[in-house]
Amino acid sequence: MAEIQLVAETRSEFGKGAARRLRREAKIPAVLYGHGTDPVHVSLPAHDTTLALRHANVLFTLDIEGTQQLAVAKDVQRDPVRQVIEHIDLLLVKKGEKISVEVPVVVVGESAPGTIHLVDMQHLTLAAEATALPQSIDVSIEGLEAGTVITAADVVLPAGVTLVTEEHHSVITIAEPKGEAAAEGEAEAAEAEAPAAE
Amino acid sequence: MLIPRRLKHRKQHHPGRSGASKGGNTVAFGDFGIQALEPAYVTNRQIEAARIAMTRHIKRGGKVWINIYPDRPLTKKPAETRMGSGKGSPEWWVANVKPGRVLFELAGVPEPLAREAMRRAIHKLPMKCRFVVREGGAI
Repeated sequence: MAEIQLVAETRSEFGKGAARRLRREAKIPAVLYGHGTDPVHVSLPAHDTTLALRHANVLFTLDIEGTQQLAVAKDVQRDPVRQVIEHIDLLLVKKGEKISVEVPVVVVGESAPGTIHLVDMQHLTLAAEATALPQSIDVSIEGLEAGTVITAADVVLPAGVTLVTEEHHSVITIAEPKGEAAAEGEAEAAEAEAPAAE
Repeated sequence: MLIPRRLKHRKQHHPGRSGASKGGNTVAFGDFGIQALEPAYVTNRQIEAARIAMTRHIKRGGKVWINIYPDRPLTKKPAETRMGSGKGSPEWWVANVKPGRVLFELAGVPEPLAREAMRRAIHKLPMKCRFVVREGGAI
């Protein structure tokens, strides 16, 4: 993913009133910190930032009053219903620096007929160079039989990327699907176990 | 049906219904989900009906997660009873759902089948809901 250039404006007004005024002007309040520096409060253009954050682990080049700074999104707060971005925490990074990021797991291929795959870990924590962060990790399940477990150690990582997640953690499990009757039987058993709490 | 095994107090106050959901707002386990758009008390019967509607439609394959639990009792006074004489008896078990909460999740089925199964499940629920896909797209 290429670097995304954004023009950030510093802000001096804080609190929900100021934040709402910014959002009405199609801007997103954000804070920039890292490397032991004092936090800098900025506002970002809402549309461009939202489009950029559709991809995981985007590297931003922020133009803050003429100075260029590299940053990655550390935390994104969204409205739970409307899904609009309300605030972003940006972490300062340097070229060549290795940082730890959460990378989504993408399943490739189809497991053996009559089996389903269950993704136990949707994200892997990886350490990678800030300027070459992987957007996703492909895990192939082509032709795998029921009972197969792919652990974090089995995942093939791109060059220069190391695993932070513990190696024994299960990432994908191939299982036989439970039929409707089995699922209902399970639910009935659970019901029988639970005494009427009167 | 989902019922707590033990409880500390048989009769509780009504849970608050204001505000949006603070957590559980994203699809965390499966590929698809049902997200609440309004606040509601979802009873254990409604949860069970929605689960059955979903599992019967997907027939075989797939896995269903239920992310809410009906842990709050609601009471009701008998019909034609004069006011007073204490609080009524527990009648329902409900989950207090707020807007944004992902109620059910589904994995291991293609999107059109998941969409239809969840549409049927939404009809069993007491509030407006929508079908959501995990961030980063379905597998």
